[in-house]
Amino acid sequence: MTNSKIKFKPVSPQIEALVREHGSQPQAVLEMLVELQTQHGILTREMLDDVARLLELPAARVYGIASFYSMLEVAETAQSFAMSKIRVCDGPVCWLCGGDVTSIGDAVRAEHPDWKVERTSCLGLCDRAPAVLVDNEQAGPVLAEKVSAILAGENVKSIDYSLPRPGEVRVTLAHAGKVDPDSLESALSVGAYQGLQAALKRTYEEVISEVENSNLNGRGGAGFPAGRKWRFVAAAARTPKFVVCNADESEPLIFKDRVLIDTNPHQILEGMAIAAYAVGASSGYIYIRGEYVSQAQRLERAIEQAERSGWLGENIAGSSFSFQVHIHRGAGAYICGEETALLESLEGKRGEPRVRPPYPPTSGYRNLPTLVNNVESFAAVPHILQRGANWYKNLSDNSAGGTKLYMLLGHVNRPGLFEAPFGLTLRQIINDFGGGLRPGSKFHFALCGGAAGTIVDESLLDTPIDYASAGKGISLGAGAFLVCDERVSPVAMLRELMHFFAVESCGKCTPCREGTRRAYDLLVCLAEGGGRPGDLEELARLASVMQAASFCGLGQSVHLPVTSALRHFENEFAAGIRS
Amino acid sequence: MVGLTTSFGSGAMSNSMDDVAEKAAAFFVIGSNTTEQHPVFGSRLRQAVLRRGAKLVVADPRRIDLADFAKPAYGGLYLRHRPGTDIVLLIGLMHIILHNGWEDKNFIAGRTEGYEEFAATIEHYPPEKASEITGVPLEQLYQAAEILALNKPMAVIWAMGITQHIVGVRNVMSLANLQMLLGNMGMEGGGVNPLRGQNNVQGACDMGGLPNVYPGYQNVTSEETRLKFEAAWGVSLPDKVGLTLTEMIPACEDGRVRALYILGEDPVMSDPNTSHIRHCLERCEFLVLQEIFPSETSAYADILLPGVSFAEKTGTFTSTERRIQMCRKAIEPLGETRPDWQITTEIAKRIIALGERDMRPAPHSGWDYNDTSDIMSEISAVTPSYAGVSHARLEAGERLQWPVKGPDHPGTPVLHVGQFTRGKGKFAPIDHIPPAELPDDEFPVLLSTGRVLYHWHGGQMTRRAKGLMGVYGRALVEVNPEDAARWNAKDGTHLRVTSRRGSIEVEAWVTDRVPPGMVFANFHFPETSANILTHASLDPVAKIPEYKIVAVRVEAV
Amino acid sequence: MPVHLTINDKPVQAHEGQTVLEAACAHGIVIPTLCYHKDLSPVGSCRLCIVEVDKLRGQVAACNLPVAEGLVVHTETPALVQSRRTVLSLLLQNYTDAGYTSHDGHTTEFEHWVRYYEARLPDGTSPAPRYPLDGDPNPFIWVDLNKCILCTRCVRACEEVQGRFVWGVGERGSYTRIIAGADTAMLEARCESCGACAAYCPTGALDHKLSIRQGEADRKVTTTCTYCGVGCQFDLNVKNGKVIRVTSNPNAPVNGMHLCVKGRYGYDFIHHPDRLTGPRVRRYLLEEGEKVLHGPAWDWVETDWNTALDITARKLAATRDHYGGSSIGVLTSAKCLNEENYLMNKLARQVLGTHNIDHCARL
Repeated sequence: MTNSKIKFKPVSPQIEALVREHGSQPQAVLEMLVELQTQHGILTREMLDDVARLLELPAARVYGIASFYSMLEVAETAQSFAMSKIRVCDGPVCWLCGGDVTSIGDAVRAEHPDWKVERTSCLGLCDRAPAVLVDNEQAGPVLAEKVSAILAGENVKSIDYSLPRPGEVRVTLAHAGKVDPDSLESALSVGAYQGLQAALKRTYEEVISEVENSNLNGRGGAGFPAGRKWRFVAAAARTPKFVVCNADESEPLIFKDRVLIDTNPHQILEGMAIAAYAVGASSGYIYIRGEYVSQAQRLERAIEQAERSGWLGENIAGSSFSFQVHIHRGAGAYICGEETALLESLEGKRGEPRVRPPYPPTSGYRNLPTLVNNVESFAAVPHILQRGANWYKNLSDNSAGGTKLYMLLGHVNRPGLFEAPFGLTLRQIINDFGGGLRPGSKFHFALCGGAAGTIVDESLLDTPIDYASAGKGISLGAGAFLVCDERVSPVAMLRELMHFFAVESCGKCTPCREGTRRAYDLLVCLAEGGGRPGDLEELARLASVMQAASFCGLGQSVHLPVTSALRHFENEFAAGIRS
Repeated sequence: MVGLTTSFGSGAMSNSMDDVAEKAAAFFVIGSNTTEQHPVFGSRLRQAVLRRGAKLVVADPRRIDLADFAKPAYGGLYLRHRPGTDIVLLIGLMHIILHNGWEDKNFIAGRTEGYEEFAATIEHYPPEKASEITGVPLEQLYQAAEILALNKPMAVIWAMGITQHIVGVRNVMSLANLQMLLGNMGMEGGGVNPLRGQNNVQGACDMGGLPNVYPGYQNVTSEETRLKFEAAWGVSLPDKVGLTLTEMIPACEDGRVRALYILGEDPVMSDPNTSHIRHCLERCEFLVLQEIFPSETSAYADILLPGVSFAEKTGTFTSTERRIQMCRKAIEPLGETRPDWQITTEIAKRIIALGERDMRPAPHSGWDYNDTSDIMSEISAVTPSYAGVSHARLEAGERLQWPVKGPDHPGTPVLHVGQFTRGKGKFAPIDHIPPAELPDDEFPVLLSTGRVLYHWHGGQMTRRAKGLMGVYGRALVEVNPEDAARWNAKDGTHLRVTSRRGSIEVEAWVTDRVPPGMVFANFHFPETSANILTHASLDPVAKIPEYKIVAVRVEAV
Repeated sequence: MPVHLTINDKPVQAHEGQTVLEAACAHGIVIPTLCYHKDLSPVGSCRLCIVEVDKLRGQVAACNLPVAEGLVVHTETPALVQSRRTVLSLLLQNYTDAGYTSHDGHTTEFEHWVRYYEARLPDGTSPAPRYPLDGDPNPFIWVDLNKCILCTRCVRACEEVQGRFVWGVGERGSYTRIIAGADTAMLEARCESCGACAAYCPTGALDHKLSIRQGEADRKVTTTCTYCGVGCQFDLNVKNGKVIRVTSNPNAPVNGMHLCVKGRYGYDFIHHPDRLTGPRVRRYLLEEGEKVLHGPAWDWVETDWNTALDITARKLAATRDHYGGSSIGVLTSAKCLNEENYLMNKLARQVLGTHNIDHCARL
């Protein structure tokens, strides 16, 4: 266009090389931006313009992507490269455990004035709260006064989950700590890829039936029967089809997928391969959150090993079945755990949810039939194929089959992760698995399911929990339970949750974008005793409108903690209103 | 126009923009900077590519904006051929089409003539030779031919980039050959689609604003037609073709033409070789100019008659797709101005009253019109293609594209369905002729001229629009970065561009839209008008000047 | 294939592939919308067109809900009204109006629905402007993101109507905002100034800068553009005898809502002070002297129509009578009406007796 504002500028040869390395594929734009930022410490408009030109994408779209993901940062101009970047978790669990972005930031800057400190919504390290990410290294717990130790490389080891707790029934965690997660041989010695071999000897139909009969429900939180989803994808007429593993675990309280990847990555790859065989896919993606750098590397290593040994790649185990797995790293966005937002992000776009229908089984990645399951779901699959649907189903005395990973956090003696059947009560979780409340603590409330779960009081301590129990007021969600004693205000906890939702809302639809922000404003006032009459009604109304009218599951589920907290702790909320 | 009339019997756009945009499986845009010159249609082409995957092939020496949509990712292709090699490019493509057997044999057999003779000439330019002459890589020729041949219907779209050459008519006939070869005529989504530059250039042609035809393209040399108009107007009429614009003004120089009546045109700005035009106009004995603004030409006028803008009068315009639409008066004529039709009527009445010319009473001899709808009634009476056009129908919301053969005829969105206007389509053997003035040692740079998005023709209207001037307030010459480096020029550097006829000083805009060795300038600004540089080499048939290829020398000031 | 559904207890026949919103529109049932526009792909983000459907959970956006046989739809239940009021009130919390007349002086779509659903700001809140007024330096599009409700119609209009991709969505959550290019000025982002974004904007966040404070038109006259040959139609907005702006006319046969920069913003030449407002003749003609192209004899003299027309007629007739019709050239105009061109043709041929008539088709 003839407009002299448009200046001719050759693109940077360095960016040109980078784009070429990624096959000049627009879908890879997010990875390119991540790499550019790693190289330069920051993204500039000029870089975005160059990337856009080379990929023939609109500059606005590339900027939209760069500014959407929290791990990417766009600056006016190139800046001097910070030595390191420390990301401090600002999630509710870290808050509960005394984490504080400002004081940790100050402590870091005191020692390293040239470092960059950034807040981040949640690092997926709730079992190590308060947590930080030092460049790519996960660390915690870290308190301001002990920052030096972290910076010196201490407290960087992950928690050991090799020993089962009394009462645990381990399937996906069976080999945790017993195999070297970076060695295929080690995994093979405990039966890795046996399930895949079993599957390959059977028809697609038989594999799907096996999974159906196992009563395996999707472990991401919604609990949709996995076998039925597989059947939809298998029945879809269009090809190619894709298998996508959702490892974007970004919700506060939830860290199970990280542990699964860290303890037994081949189990997940095997599950994906079985699924791919069953639905007729030949390529798969693991969408892993950007903060899980070492986990992504671990998976990459595992894929490489498996491919080298013929457990992935062309003609797996001598059969005609081929399956390639690719790792796709996110860049900081909770919304990408929503499966359609994940698919958008996988295609190199802003992680905004899609209109449904059509659903991913008929129109997913690149609008082709796509199976999306959670890490934990895939991890269970090899065991089902190896040991049979009936065995798996009967592990639980519940309509949901098999076992579940539980994450237990807060004021209990033994927080952490364990695997057990469905149908536990909160009291069992706290007392039998968590070693009871901490000395001096009295149960006040628990946040059940995840950040978008229910806040319950003691009246629900004895309700068995499964995918159906949400109807009774207590959710299973992804299996996380945050137990709080009487020193914690449910109003303040809800404020922290709302802060998370407001920051992580993608901004597409009005109720979620504006509703979470407004609810947060109200909760800030209420928590400080500065609420106004009518605030509780407005909060309740916002919750119900968000539930009914939001575009996707993120906005729709925000009402769960709000309405449950208002129901059980109305007095404490009312006390926040200025008289 | 002349080219298409020879091939098909009608010179207008064969199809409608709507069917082209909605139905074409592929587009071949050559010599049309559609998104800047016909922006709304240009955006329809982009939409077709984006929304429904239509394939776009763009051929243009300049990397125009539309080229962004002619990329392999969208199934299209951009060809940057050398200026003045359109015919070779087209023959090269047709060579590939024929050698792959992609031609539409039924169409050729049933609806055309002259095919054998034409096909023989195709052999003169095998793809290798075409590639060498045009500068288009061989594989791109093959890819383009495949896209154009295998996506049916395919619509050819062009504008002045094809016609403003000494071989303009040959270019057009080559495109007509291509469309007959592929059988893309007479169907929705296909056709030959020249885009007309000005809002009523189609109407001006339709209304007999041409030296060779009466309204409705009725030849002045046909006795039958002459008798018809003599009977209608009550006078005797000459039987020889008149002078074209590009002949008329130079004819002032030797006194063959002594008086000019110019309505709303600015030849000093829009005609080639400005200084020669100025010289000729000085020699004109009497020049009446009817305009809304004083213009460069008004310096030579003896009388200035103030007409009105489109907002101050009611009547009809005919768009490039032969669509007749109402222009409606929104405000009263400013000051003492009068609608142009009233001025012309007054002049005519006064000349007739002087009584030196024989006039008989005849059905349409008079000049008493109450309004423009009266004029339209007369038009429809003498113009078969407008026979069914009336203001009443248009005001009733009817959408009419000519030919409209009668009051009940719905109009004709697509021409040449089932049969060409002239019967059979005529294949014409075409050979390549190099441009009249190519760069040499003395004038080593090729200048191409045209318009930009923000301005309009001589710029009389757009230079008086605040916002447009805000974005594009002075002339710029487009310069390739390699040349810019050579001439030590950056954005905003003043360059002197000199041709054999004159010299202008103009700011550089560095852009890779133009290839190295070529600059592009416009004629919107009087002091820096590219027409100071252009030459008056005309197409021998259509008398269109070769605006697209001029040899110049460029240096930083 | 006809599909039968029930909307607000009224049987409605739709066709396959339609959305509930389209089916409702076709039957005169009004469902409020903001992000939806019939020319643009639906995104379902504003959540104003939500409806309730029997046997479906929650409130579903009608703009991307496909019709299905037997669907029972309610469009105006108390719960929906409450949701819409809440949604509008949430939008108001980020909306500030600096008080200039927006769009063509009419109530904007957003203002209309705010009033209709009686949406108000919550007590104790008073939004502050977050963005500069007139935030982009281009001469045509007025940008006031304080009025932006993030419906993204501008983004889609630019992409889907103009095919240019200037606009996009940047940041996220409550920081989400509309951006041009890599967050730069519009013209640098390759804007072609067609004004489609402003034409489709439902709030006036994007508006026409040239006419921003001109107010409502007295009347609108539908006419055909004076520039290129595409034949776009639009409405000239007239106030006090002046053309104050051009607005899209959705019924235009060729262009619909769309226009280009010249058509939409190139109208102010009409009232330019340079306009010739009366006839002028060279002094030598009045004094019946010899023609010289300089000096006082060549000065312009303003005169009356009668004088100018008489001289014109006399001179042309004399030239014809002395030298023959072929000594006169007539240039008609590709900018003038068909009727005027016909008259020029008739003048040349019938009155002057020459075929020397042409226009600038070749240029």
